[in-house]
Amino acid sequence: MNFNQKLEQNKKQIIDQWFLHTINSYPQETARVLGKLKNRFDNPVGSATAHSLEESFNLLLQKEIDIDKIETALDSIIRIRAVQSFSASQAVGFVFELKKIIKTVLEGERDNDFDGKIDEMALAAFNRFMKCRENIFLLKATESKRRIHSAFERAGLVTELKEKELLDSDKS
Amino acid sequence: MSDELKPDELLDKVDHTPSQGTWMTESVQIRPGMYCYAAKPESVETLGLPNARSWNPMEADWKLPENWQEIIHNGIKDRLEKFRTFKIFMDVCVRCGACADKCHFFLGTGDPKNMPVLRAELLRSVYRNDFTTAGKLLQKIPGGDKLGGGRPLTLDVLKEWWYYFFQCTECRRCSVFCPYGIDTAEITIMGRELLNLLGLNIDWIATPVSNCYQTGNHLGIQPHAFKDMLDFFTEDIEEITGVDVAPQFNKKGADILFITPSGDVFADPGTYTCQGYMILFKYLKDKYDLDVTWSTYASEGGNFGFFTSHETMKRLNAKMYAEAKRLGVKWILGGECGHMWRVINQYMDTMNGPADFLEEPVNPITGTKFENAKSTKMVHITEFTADLIKHGKLELDKSRNANRVMTFHDSCNPARGMGLLDEPRYIIENTCDNFYEMPINTIREQTFCCGSGAGLNAGENIELRMAGGLPRANAVKYVHDKFGVNTLGTICAIDRAALSTLMEYWVPDVEVYGIHELVGNALILPGEQEREMDLRMEPLPGKEEADE
Repeated sequence: MNFNQKLEQNKKQIIDQWFLHTINSYPQETARVLGKLKNRFDNPVGSATAHSLEESFNLLLQKEIDIDKIETALDSIIRIRAVQSFSASQAVGFVFELKKIIKTVLEGERDNDFDGKIDEMALAAFNRFMKCRENIFLLKATESKRRIHSAFERAGLVTELKEKELLDSDKS
Repeated sequence: MSDELKPDELLDKVDHTPSQGTWMTESVQIRPGMYCYAAKPESVETLGLPNARSWNPMEADWKLPENWQEIIHNGIKDRLEKFRTFKIFMDVCVRCGACADKCHFFLGTGDPKNMPVLRAELLRSVYRNDFTTAGKLLQKIPGGDKLGGGRPLTLDVLKEWWYYFFQCTECRRCSVFCPYGIDTAEITIMGRELLNLLGLNIDWIATPVSNCYQTGNHLGIQPHAFKDMLDFFTEDIEEITGVDVAPQFNKKGADILFITPSGDVFADPGTYTCQGYMILFKYLKDKYDLDVTWSTYASEGGNFGFFTSHETMKRLNAKMYAEAKRLGVKWILGGECGHMWRVINQYMDTMNGPADFLEEPVNPITGTKFENAKSTKMVHITEFTADLIKHGKLELDKSRNANRVMTFHDSCNPARGMGLLDEPRYIIENTCDNFYEMPINTIREQTFCCGSGAGLNAGENIELRMAGGLPRANAVKYVHDKFGVNTLGTICAIDRAALSTLMEYWVPDVEVYGIHELVGNALILPGEQEREMDLRMEPLPGKEEADE
């Protein structure tokens, strides 16, 4: 039985442990609640975490990994962690934990190629984390302007040079 | 749900083990992105509220008066004597945990101190220590404080109050699940009142309150600018419909005074909802000679005083009645707003009522008596419009909203604070063909908050807002993925602003609409030209090519 087949065979156990570890990155009282997988609308964080981890793991089992698909699969978990009280390393650190979990479940066995795939997944997670953070800062920067300033602008109460006009003035 | 739980079952659930107490002794960590900036001294001064000064929550010294503990102690004592609910809510919680996982802020942030039970314990622990006999006795025994769940009011505790009472939107979802009916929002309300005794407000509340008190609305827009905005909308609507819908201002002797949150007049996308009201009033004037006036003085339906103290809420609310009296109208019609309606439905009548000079609201076009507004004399516009539709009084062309695949977000205050659940849905169904509900445990009485209510819709606390709005966004994403929903309807001005940003982060393909924006698009004005555009100046369904 090759390494991938062993992973397939122990998939449920690996994913369960990975989920447990990730949920335990929250305070104890919170982990107790988020760890219960009941209705996905009553527990969005637990549900998105479980779903995202399972989908990502399945993608890792493919012969050739598609890094874009992995990044998309990680979106729901990373998007949540990007607005919670985690540092950047804490937010994506759960990915590396998969190596330890696999080693424990497969009683010490590991595979360089698969470890490499996990490293690639960690980089994808970090990319996604940065996109989410940039998204947050952009929303913060544009929100008040869009809300109030644009209404005033339309009413002619304030005026400001448009980006296009500024670019044009540069040409002249 | 509380009514499914029998008393014996409830008792079985009670955990008699003393709490470990670790949360009680940990110092609060104030994290940027989670809190709002401190109130500016000039805004605190306007209302004559105490301890106006510049201060920064991130600094150790909060510039409190020397006797701050005494002020808080007396503040709690006064309120325990004045408000029986407060005393009951302090005493009656058995920490069953039914509320723990019902709060959007807890679910989104994962911070255990956002469990409603624990947020309330922050205040309750001090109450137990200082105001209960058991607490006073137990603090003399080693380890007794842990047994009794009490703790003294220290500076750390006060800072923790400030941090967490401004991480609650007073949405009252938790109270729906409480077997004792504890209204945790009222605990937050009391917590904020006490903090205000020391000048510990946030600026996103204090400055709007100050503006409203001085100028008449939260944004501090003066009467001429208020009129300018509506004039501008009139021009836009004329371009779209060919009809002049110019509103009336401050008209004495009008039938109805209309008051809406100023967000509808100044903030996108609420401005389109505002245009919907204007089109409706023009229609009713032409068809049924209904005389509606706007006021440039009572130019705010919202009431951020509600998030400061009951006295402040009363002062801001009074202007609605004062203006209705000055103009001599029959009754007041209110726009699409959230907390405005909790203030009106639950507090206005006893604060500033009875408004004997107004008539019991009757729709002059249909003859419907608004029994629920008999005492407050103020009717919600979705009740009014739904009644008109029900009686076949509006000509609506649903096809103009055919590109909208709708879902509806119940705003916390109209839903849980006044039971307004079906009227907005009825209007949606009569103005649009595509409507899909979000899952049942996320709507109606169980609706999830937008995460930005109760004065928390600032920019600096955006991480708190995005985390708090996650449970709502999660349900929107579900109907978006399953049914192709592209529009989130709502009847609250804060929602229209907050949910737009929330959607951009979590479900970027979904736009936010007020319900009267749909009405404005669908309503066929007498003498109108063939419309090519909707109120956002986007081509109507089927008119896309004409636009190119």
